[in-house]
Amino acid sequence: MISIKNLHASIEDKEILKGINLEVKAGEVHAIMGPNGSGKSTLASVLAGREDYEVTEGSITYENEDLLELGPDERAQKGIFLAFQYPVEIPGVSTTNFLKTAINQVREARGEKALDAVHFLKLMKEKMKLVDMDQALLSRSLNEGFSGGEKKRNEIFQMAMLEPKLSILDETDSGLDIDALRIVADGVNKLKSDKTATIVVTHYQRLLDYIVPDFVHVLYNGQIVKSGDKSLALELEEKGYDWIKEEVAAV
Amino acid sequence: MIMSAPAILENLESTFKGNEVQKKALDMLNEVGLPQRKSEAYKFTPVTSLLEKNIDFEAKDESTFDSSLLYKEEGSHLVFINGELAKEHSSISDSLKLEVAEISEGKHDPFSLLNAAYAKEELRIESGYEEPVFIYHFNSNGFTNPRIKVNVKNGHTFRVVEKLISPLDAKTFTNSYIEFTVGKNAFGYHTKVQNYNDHTYSHETVFAHIDKDGQFYNNTFSFEGAMVRNNLTINLNAENCEGHMYGLFLLDKKSHVDNNTSVDHLKPNSFSNELYKGILDEKSTGVFNGKIYVRQDAQKTNAFQSNNNILLSEDATLHTKPQLEIWADDVKCSHGCTSGQLDEDAIFYLRTRGINEKNAKAMILNAFAAETMEHVKVSSVKEEIQGLIDQKLV
Repeated sequence: MISIKNLHASIEDKEILKGINLEVKAGEVHAIMGPNGSGKSTLASVLAGREDYEVTEGSITYENEDLLELGPDERAQKGIFLAFQYPVEIPGVSTTNFLKTAINQVREARGEKALDAVHFLKLMKEKMKLVDMDQALLSRSLNEGFSGGEKKRNEIFQMAMLEPKLSILDETDSGLDIDALRIVADGVNKLKSDKTATIVVTHYQRLLDYIVPDFVHVLYNGQIVKSGDKSLALELEEKGYDWIKEEVAAV
Repeated sequence: MIMSAPAILENLESTFKGNEVQKKALDMLNEVGLPQRKSEAYKFTPVTSLLEKNIDFEAKDESTFDSSLLYKEEGSHLVFINGELAKEHSSISDSLKLEVAEISEGKHDPFSLLNAAYAKEELRIESGYEEPVFIYHFNSNGFTNPRIKVNVKNGHTFRVVEKLISPLDAKTFTNSYIEFTVGKNAFGYHTKVQNYNDHTYSHETVFAHIDKDGQFYNNTFSFEGAMVRNNLTINLNAENCEGHMYGLFLLDKKSHVDNNTSVDHLKPNSFSNELYKGILDEKSTGVFNGKIYVRQDAQKTNAFQSNNNILLSEDATLHTKPQLEIWADDVKCSHGCTSGQLDEDAIFYLRTRGINEKNAKAMILNAFAAETMEHVKVSSVKEEIQGLIDQKLV
């Protein structure tokens, strides 16, 4: 589904990603772990198309298309979704209105008819259940005054509404208590299929108890320095990241 | 003929043919003169020199009346052509009391005096039964002084919507004056839509006196104009009255809009709220000056003011100045102004959900502007304003 080759990216002339290689196929869940400042969130942002980052080398191919040629909105229309680490508060725009615009713009780009109010509401009701979303929140300004947990749930709710092919969860677990974490993870799991893929960016192993990855990659200093299966995450949880750093230093 | 500075008043005087009140206004005007370059109140809008440079005060032009510009709403529709009520184009509801009268006294600042001296007539309106009044100024002459006095009777609710339509091909200066007297427990609503063009110069005075338990709302929406100066003054003359001021200036090109507002709390337990928002693009200029006076008697006053602005271009200019003068000691007052650019994080967020950049920006700006529309209740006016916002933002 997506193939990242030798990806280098920098911000304000500071190189953050220094040659990432990653291949994700439909049906797979990949976890990207790593210490703070290793470049995890940068990778998520670059995949979503944040323009603050400059890709200086390498390529990203998504469904046989050069992803780097596409703006963030076009990527979303083609099925990429980023759940933000820090969802942005947008005063005055209700979640409902925003989602209706988003969905219909995505549908339009895919050559589908716009959803009318009735079908939109029906879809919304159905997806709200997935993440136990409170109706009252949806008529309020997008993320404004939401608690940390509500914001994260709202991200997964949006993901459910937009039905992406490739979902990137950027530290979706940070700041969530165990109940909220379970709800969010359940939501993500219910949305998984053999046609979709998920990249889970996280600092903690805890989330991976609920969203079980097929592959775990360790990002350190802008590169993937180690890959393995879910046992790698457990090892990291137990031993921390220092042994990885030492291993890298030894090479 | 375009005149030089001190000559404006002098030359106009040869055309003067007013009554006693007007003569008095003229004398007072000659004494105070028009604001000059150093005038603090017109610091960011050099009104006199702009008029000197651009306006031929004696120019006469065919009227540009166009019935398709009237709102399709129940109520009275009053059409003014070059400062005079054109009854043949107006429709006046039975419940509305109206009188075309001689000029009577008004405010004493230079442009109010200028209006008093040169207005052709004074229209007096008394509130009817809840039906709104729509006032249209079709001004094609170089210089026009529409003059209106509105009386909102005790206990009445009265909505007045006003707009000016000026030609695209000739420079015009409209110096309008509207004065509201809002009675006891009465509600006056005044909404202005200022969607002019680069030939339109206007100085618009709105003056309101509020009596006990009365409320006045002014909503001013500005979209385009070569020079628009709004002087809004609300006097809260009695206890428990309220003044509300909402404004949006959404400008581009070289539009220049200056909102100068003032609310005066004279007695205890009154409330005022002011919210002005600016969105400035291209080479436009926006000015906001909000004054709040709380007199010594006006204990337990609540007065709030805020002015928030978004600049979309490096060439746009914004001046904002809150001014509070408080003599009472038991009051709650707050003011704040912000200005900044569009939030790039918010745009990125919306774009990652599939909304293109243009729509994402429009969505954010629309939400920003929407708050100023809360008190516009007449649906076709609301639709018109929303339409103008959409047109500007997309």
